[in-house]
Amino acid sequence: MAWLALVGAGCMEVFGVINIKRLSQQKWDALVYMMFTFGLSFYLLTYAMKTIPMGTAYAMWTGIGTVGAAFVGMVLYGESKSWKRLVFVVLILGASVGLKFVS
Amino acid sequence: MNRNWLYVFSSGILEIFWVSGLKHSETIAGWIFTVAALACSFYLVVLASRQLPVGTVYAVFAGIGTGGTVMVESLVFGEPFKLLKILLIVVLLVGVVGLKMVTANTEKATT
Repeated sequence: MAWLALVGAGCMEVFGVINIKRLSQQKWDALVYMMFTFGLSFYLLTYAMKTIPMGTAYAMWTGIGTVGAAFVGMVLYGESKSWKRLVFVVLILGASVGLKFVS
Repeated sequence: MNRNWLYVFSSGILEIFWVSGLKHSETIAGWIFTVAALACSFYLVVLASRQLPVGTVYAVFAGIGTGGTVMVESLVFGEPFKLLKILLIVVLLVGVVGLKMVTANTEKATT
């Protein structure tokens, strides 16, 4: 359950970042979405950290958020899909899965 | 060492505080401090990003946050030190920092 909350927190962070981007395009409804998604993200992170060690949870939260943001950038905003970026994505995901089994 | 880098380092240090706060806060005062640290930390990142490349700023911010929380967890809160766990966190961090740096550079190349 804690791990699921952590993945959810990472995903919510990605939605938060998308809304920062939309806010910079002056779509004001994004402000409401942004506060809601970031709020939920921190709430889920707090919940996950009740059982998962702080350093592990934080690292995975950052990792999922980073991978998600890159993925959204590639799919929605046409950012580069260079092999270098994909290698780092695989590194993050591999390390996250590893941490899940070590903890 | 200019002012913008000072913002980045401060935001990273604050991050260690708010992550610790999310896990360990038990009083109202503790929660107020945590939320304040969180707000300041993100405000400083945004401030620094106006002058410095975003990818680099975020990479340093995440690096300090990750390294710092792992250290504080072991030293202050007595979490047992597992080598394999630390190694995996380092690999994850390399991925995050690398991805941010590569992204920043490609953004620079296209603008």
